[in-house]
Amino acid sequence: MLQMTRAMPPIDAAPRHAARTALLAPLLAGLLAALPPAALGAPPAGPEVTTPAASAAPPAGEPPAAESSPDTRGLDQEIQGLKKDVVDLNKDLFILEEELLFPANTQVAVFLSVDVGQFFALDSVQLKLDRKEVINYLYTPRELDALLKGGVQRLYLGNLKVGAHELVAFFSGKGPNERAYKRGASLRFEKGVGAKYLELKIDDRQRKLQPEFEIKDWE
Amino acid sequence: MAVMALGCSLAVQAQSRYALIGQSAPDFALHAAVGGNARLSEHRGEVVVLSFWSSRCTPCRTQLAALNRSLATYHSAGLAMFGIGVDDDPAQAREFARSASVSFALLLDPAKGVSRSYQVDNLPMTVLIDRSGTVRNVLRDYSPESEQLYLQQLRALLNE
Repeated sequence: MLQMTRAMPPIDAAPRHAARTALLAPLLAGLLAALPPAALGAPPAGPEVTTPAASAAPPAGEPPAAESSPDTRGLDQEIQGLKKDVVDLNKDLFILEEELLFPANTQVAVFLSVDVGQFFALDSVQLKLDRKEVINYLYTPRELDALLKGGVQRLYLGNLKVGAHELVAFFSGKGPNERAYKRGASLRFEKGVGAKYLELKIDDRQRKLQPEFEIKDWE
Repeated sequence: MAVMALGCSLAVQAQSRYALIGQSAPDFALHAAVGGNARLSEHRGEVVVLSFWSSRCTPCRTQLAALNRSLATYHSAGLAMFGIGVDDDPAQAREFARSASVSFALLLDPAKGVSRSYQVDNLPMTVLIDRSGTVRNVLRDYSPESEQLYLQQLRALLNE
C-alpha cells in the first residue's frame, strides 16, 4: 500500500483551502449558536435579578471567584471539543471535495519519492501526461530534506479517461561532482475503471555511481 | 524633520496606491542565484521581506546591504528575507548576486511572473508581508528616510 502524505500540496491547493474555510465558518457559527448560553459564559436568561450589593459580597462559606475553576475547565473542554469537531469536519470536507473533483473511476495520482540521493540533488520535476505539461515543480531545501527523510510527495492529482496513456517525467538537478544533470523517464500505462497511482522513484545505483529514475505503476 | 515628514507622507500615498495591500501575498517558488530555492508559502508564520532588484539599479545594492543589516538584527525574531532579481539575463543577475554578499537568498525571476504578480513598477521595491501571509507595506524607493520607515514598519510587524 502506498504511503500518501499531504506534507507538500501543490500551489493550487490554496484557493481550495480558502473555499473550505469559507464553508466551515458558518458551520462553526452554527455550532456556537447551538451551545447552551452557560457554556459560552453568558448569564442565564430568566427572571432572576441580582443586586450589585448581593453580587459584590459573596455569602460566607461560598468559594471565592478564583476557585470556580471547574466551570472554566468545563468551558475549556467544550471549546476543545468544538475545535476537534471543526478539524474533523474539515477533514471530511477535504475527502468529499477530492471525491467530487477526482472521482475514483478517472483519478490519476503521481507520487514522488527519493531514496538516498547521494548522486543526485533534485531541483525540479516536469511532468507530461499524453504530451501535455501538467506540472513543473521546483523543490526547496526544506522539501528535499523531507523527501530524504522518507517523505512521499503527491506531485500531481488529476483525471484521465479509461485507455492507454503515457507519462513522461523530466528530473533536473545536480549530479555527481555538482554538475547540472537532467534525465527523463517515461511509462506507458493503461488506465482502467479504478484510480491509478504512479510513483516516480529516484534511487542511487551504487555499482554505476549514478542516480536511477524509475516510474512505478501501483496496481 | 519636515523632510522626514514629507517622505513619510509620500510613502503613505505610495502605499495607498498599491493594490496588494491587505491582500494575500501571491505564492511563488523561484530558483536562487545565491542560497537555496525558495517558496513563499513555506514561510507562513514569519514576517517576510521581498526586495525586488536588478543588476542595473544602482540604489539596489545599497538597499540590499541595508536589508542584510536588518536581517542580522531581527532574524531571531522571525524575519525571513528574499531578494528577487528581475534581470532578463540570468548570468548577469548571478554575477550581481555573487558580488552583493548578503546572507539571504537572492532569487531569479527572468520570466518576470513574480514581479508581475507583485506589480513591481519601480526599483528597488520592498514588500513587507505579515505572519499570516498578508501584504502590509510597500516601499517604492530607497533613501535614509525610507529606511527609517521600513524599520518602523518591520518592528511593528514583528511585534504583532
